[in-house]
Amino acid sequence: MNELHVTAAGAAAAILTVLSISGTLYWMLHPPKSRADIAAVKAERLLKESFGTVLVAFSSEIRSEHMMVLAARLARGLNSELLALYVIEVPFTLPTNAVMEDEDRFALDVMASAEVIGKRFGVDVRTEIVHHRHTSQAVLDLAKRERADLIIMGSYREGTYTGAPLGREIEEIAANAKCDVLIGVEGKHGTLLYDETQAEAALQSKV
Amino acid sequence: MSSEIVTGERQELRRSVTPWGSYSWGYADVGADIFVALGLVIGVAGGATNIAFLFAGLVYVAVGLAYTELAAAYPVAGGGQYFVMRGLGDFLGFIAGWAVLLDFTIDITLFAWGCVGYLSHLPVLNVLDASAHPLAHFWVILALIAGLAVLNVIGVRESTAFNGFVSAIDVFSETLILVLGFLFTFHPELLIHSMQSGWPNTFQLMNGISLAIISFVGLESISHAAEETNRPASIIPRTSISLILTILIFALAYSNLALGMQPWHPVPHDAAGHAQQFWHYLGAVQNQDKAVAVMATNIPYFGLLAAFYVPVFGATLLLISSNSGVFGSSRIAYAMSQFQLLPSIFKRVHRKFKTPVISIAVFCTLAAIELVFAALQGNFGYEFLGDLYAFGAAASYTLVFVALIALRLKDPLTPRKFLIPLNLKMRFKGEEVLFPIVAVIGFLGIFAILIFVLLTHHIGRIAGPSWLLFGIVIYAIYRLRKKLPLFGSAPRNWNRDQVQILKNAGELELMDELVGKLKARDPNFTMRTP
Repeated sequence: MNELHVTAAGAAAAILTVLSISGTLYWMLHPPKSRADIAAVKAERLLKESFGTVLVAFSSEIRSEHMMVLAARLARGLNSELLALYVIEVPFTLPTNAVMEDEDRFALDVMASAEVIGKRFGVDVRTEIVHHRHTSQAVLDLAKRERADLIIMGSYREGTYTGAPLGREIEEIAANAKCDVLIGVEGKHGTLLYDETQAEAALQSKV
Repeated sequence: MSSEIVTGERQELRRSVTPWGSYSWGYADVGADIFVALGLVIGVAGGATNIAFLFAGLVYVAVGLAYTELAAAYPVAGGGQYFVMRGLGDFLGFIAGWAVLLDFTIDITLFAWGCVGYLSHLPVLNVLDASAHPLAHFWVILALIAGLAVLNVIGVRESTAFNGFVSAIDVFSETLILVLGFLFTFHPELLIHSMQSGWPNTFQLMNGISLAIISFVGLESISHAAEETNRPASIIPRTSISLILTILIFALAYSNLALGMQPWHPVPHDAAGHAQQFWHYLGAVQNQDKAVAVMATNIPYFGLLAAFYVPVFGATLLLISSNSGVFGSSRIAYAMSQFQLLPSIFKRVHRKFKTPVISIAVFCTLAAIELVFAALQGNFGYEFLGDLYAFGAAASYTLVFVALIALRLKDPLTPRKFLIPLNLKMRFKGEEVLFPIVAVIGFLGIFAILIFVLLTHHIGRIAGPSWLLFGIVIYAIYRLRKKLPLFGSAPRNWNRDQVQILKNAGELELMDELVGKLKARDPNFTMRTP
């Protein structure tokens, strides 16, 4: 075997090789951004900055279980805090502090389900049950108190209600909230996002 | 509605190649070339190996810049064949495509040969050594070609992700070999001595230059993937230029290191019992097809590991390149038959596997025939394949330069996000155009190499033109039967096609620019077919 002998020219060539190859690859992997790329990055940054707390609203009329899954995924991806709220609407025939055991029990079940959904996605869910005369006002108040950045709601049981297809409570929340509102309308209730004639045609073409 | 859904899905699939993916498409092809070319060039150019690589490298930079501009401006599958067809018409487009097809079939055989060569460097597999066991060597290569053909028919082909992974490891490994080689074994005075004592005659130098060009062939793979690249007009210039630089750095560094390397192990005497320098040993017939592995083995300490790892890795990279030959040849034939340059039989896909089975079978058979011819050359079989490879590349690249100049003059409206530097402003048919000076220089360089190939490669100068003649006969029969012009072009609306190409590529800003220019020239221009 020959002797090991490092020369200055050899060392310089070795360094030059590493620098030129790594510099070339670095330049290649950082291309200029297009208008679409810049817009996408801006939207992403805005989303990251703004979504601190996500509030998922439930009530006897607002069914948000399926949206809870979406909310948990979002919260995990955006590292947001997740708050599930169940509003028990107190009728005007009862005092505001009236005991409503059955409703409370049902609310507990819903909140427990919300927590399980959150855990399945590795997100801790804070839950709160509120008694209020108006569901919409309760959600808006809590969103204000918690400085929520996003309110997520599911469908309204009376989706076909004339004059307020999404349900009056949902419409009021959407109209008056000071943050973004995401409404998930289930296909079988919401005719706005679901074109039955096309679905039927698609089904027939499959057959 | 349903058609919209289909369009949406297709667009998502099409634009899925990232910058690294685009780079690795090219690298999987060109990256392996140095493993093949180094031994061949040292074998003929001796002490001027680095000069041969430098001259070929300068031409290659011009070729690379031309491909970069064209692929960014016309991001469609087909590469050189498409550019030439668009710039110079159907007949010359066919010639360019047919020359590239020669390269891709040679690709299959040459890289399969190199793959077996590198494997034979492993002590346990030295039974595959071509000089010691030619018959075993031949059958293993033939089996590899058949295996790749079957794999491609059933649809198994290298994915971009796998290419990306192998390319990343290869860039790292080749850099590591160079860094450790330069650090521990390089002696500048030995480099000068090798250049002085081993300087070849003019004929050998020309031969070396024409062989050195094969270490740069394959850049067009980036343009073949252009249609599937995300934002091709922006990404392809980056990936192409990076590939040009990487390969140039490797080629120059390896050739200089080979000439100035003090090997860790003593150099064996040659067959006649004479003492030889390390580069003599690298360029000897028994080492030509595994030169990089021999170099790596002779680096102190690292060589112990490299003895096992570099042959296996080199063989893997060469096998992928060989596979890209199978895939590329069938794809180019498919594209050519779509433009009515080849019979529609090459468009046919297998009913079950949905792959162009006839194209694969035809071009793998041609690769096997080339292997038989190469094997008949005995110890010069590897060089024979190198000769043909150089001919195909030089012929195709020569036409690409002419096409670039023609497209600058005929199609000045197409937005070019990347322009070759050094342009001359002039007017042509009432339009202001930029005449590319580098394209003229590149044309002269590559044309000179084509002449070198014809002058210095005895077999290449017969087999190469024969291949072109064979293709022209097929082309003529097909075009006459289809009642299409033989030397003219089939009618096409290139402007409308170009708008559609940019739209499909997601280059909406460039599409707007082109539509604006077309409407300014012709207010009745519409994107839709009337």
